Amino acid sequence: MAGLRRRGALLLFGLAALAPLVVRDAYFLDSLILILMWGALSAAWNVASGYAGQVSLGHAAFFGIGAYAAALVSARWGQSPWLGLLLGVALSIAAGAVIGYLSNRLRGPYFALSTIAFSQVLLIVASRWRTLTAGSEGIPVPFRPGFWTLGLSHVAWVYVALALALLYYGVEVYLERSRLGYRLAGVREDEDAAEALGIPTRRLKVLAVTLSAALTAVGGSLWAQYVGFVDPFYVFSIDLSIRFALNTIIGGTGTALGPFLGSILITSLETYLRATFSGVRTGFTGIYLIIYGAVLILVVRFLPEGLVGLARRARATPARAQA
Amino acid sequence: MDPARPLGPAEIEALAQLVVSTVLLGGIYALIAVGLTLIFGVMRVVNFAHGEFLMLGMYLAFWAFTLGGLDPYLVLPVSLALFFALGLVTYALVMRGVIAASHNVQIFTTVGLSVALQNVALVAWTGDFRYIRPWHSAVVLRLGTTAFNLSQVVAFALAVVLTLALFAFLRWTHTGRVMRATAQDRDAATLMGIDTDRVYRLTWAIGIAAVGAAGVLVAPLYSVYPTAGLQFVLLAYVVVVLGGLGDMVGALLGSLIVAGVEVVGSYVVGTAWKEVLYFLLFIAVLVFRPAGLFGQRGAETLGA
Repeated sequence: MAGLRRRGALLLFGLAALAPLVVRDAYFLDSLILILMWGALSAAWNVASGYAGQVSLGHAAFFGIGAYAAALVSARWGQSPWLGLLLGVALSIAAGAVIGYLSNRLRGPYFALSTIAFSQVLLIVASRWRTLTAGSEGIPVPFRPGFWTLGLSHVAWVYVALALALLYYGVEVYLERSRLGYRLAGVREDEDAAEALGIPTRRLKVLAVTLSAALTAVGGSLWAQYVGFVDPFYVFSIDLSIRFALNTIIGGTGTALGPFLGSILITSLETYLRATFSGVRTGFTGIYLIIYGAVLILVVRFLPEGLVGLARRARATPARAQA
Repeated sequence: MDPARPLGPAEIEALAQLVVSTVLLGGIYALIAVGLTLIFGVMRVVNFAHGEFLMLGMYLAFWAFTLGGLDPYLVLPVSLALFFALGLVTYALVMRGVIAASHNVQIFTTVGLSVALQNVALVAWTGDFRYIRPWHSAVVLRLGTTAFNLSQVVAFALAVVLTLALFAFLRWTHTGRVMRATAQDRDAATLMGIDTDRVYRLTWAIGIAAVGAAGVLVAPLYSVYPTAGLQFVLLAYVVVVLGGLGDMVGALLGSLIVAGVEVVGSYVVGTAWKEVLYFLLFIAVLVFRPAGLFGQRGAETLGA
């Protein structure tokens, strides 16, 4: 089964790598970049929430830290956004460690609530601390051509986003196969039993949340440079935190390919509806979110392993029939 | 200022204003929070869609006023019945299947419900900010230099009446006792022949009716839009965690504390930063006393 999934991933990332050589349509490339970026960011969420079971509803906090760090460093202080990306990672590691520490004291809904509160604090700070962040006006990021300034063509952005996606997919595969991954699964499935077996559950939870935070910040930095604008009410929003979760859950929580499958489905339908209906009536694009809200309810109940689980079931059924 | 010096008249007046503002606000927060904490106490589910039911209540008041010229306070009894029914429907369709599921399944079931309801409102009524201004919101009552409008005072009074009615129901009726018994020990309640499915259905419907009614009450005070529930539900989380999730009396005290922090915070650091205060308070409570200020220690580590 894992072999099929790896082949699926190879096909997916291979197609993404070849597509820009054939198709030069800006709309198509934009969709592809966003699919890869949201997929990678959902994979980052998956590290803490899927593999380690520390379900966060506040990952927008780390995304926003990354986005603001890159935007401030490049737009405000005229330095390379790559330096901003590193700053964002450093800040997110600090914030992730604090949140990870909280996860040692709080389980289930308590932890999810504390992550929401944390992202809301950052939202308020970013939208009110006018001298640093320009407040609710947001920060436009000027386009300066070059790799060092991250002023890239659409085609180049596809490869940056693809590199990010491959890296995060690699991290997930590592978590599925390594000793660390098995220990995290132990923490997720039964923390008390894991603790009794001598697994340092507290340290592992902090590690997983911190790693997830750092990966999310990198995605946030790159997103800010690609989109060219940072709006506090978007980058720190609960909607964004839910988006990471939604992609992953629909694709398959705790699976390496799941976040990317979810992102393909959700991002492409969203961009399609946006392009088709944006002029018709404000709010009409909300239709896809109604569908996804309903799908989310159905998936967590009937298909806890998401699309990946569906594929597994489809393959498992004939085998069982033979036996 | 010398702390031993007796308070001057100006300070006493300022203090009185802060106290009155706190109580008025706290009463409304309490009605929003009791539904949340009741649902958690009995069903062990944090309802992440709680704010969306509040938002629907606000829209109900908005449309009743705009289309039918009906005063929100006349709509209130109807809203209780409507939201009770909506609670029964959402329980049967959505919640019933996940009562015995893991926390993560429950979290994302209510998150999914929240996303769907929010966007139903967005598609049906657009993202515009809407207002209603019934006659009583123009009637100004003065206390010293602070002005309150009549809507605020009536909303507070009705919220208190509804909250007390809920407490009386839980305390003195048979059904209320059965609900409290289920909250205390689900297994023992089942052994005593209590139909827990019926208890959960009622609990959910009552919680939704309470927050829907709260939405109707706050509609003349705040603007109405699809994500209007968010600011209130975030407050309600702070309230119920302060009071101890599932603790009804704790929710009342928590409401007063959060309202106090908001009122005093606006007075001292300005309205722009007041929300930071109660979120920091929230995080501090989660770190130091996660079972709530008045709760039993250890409840949070059970994830219960």
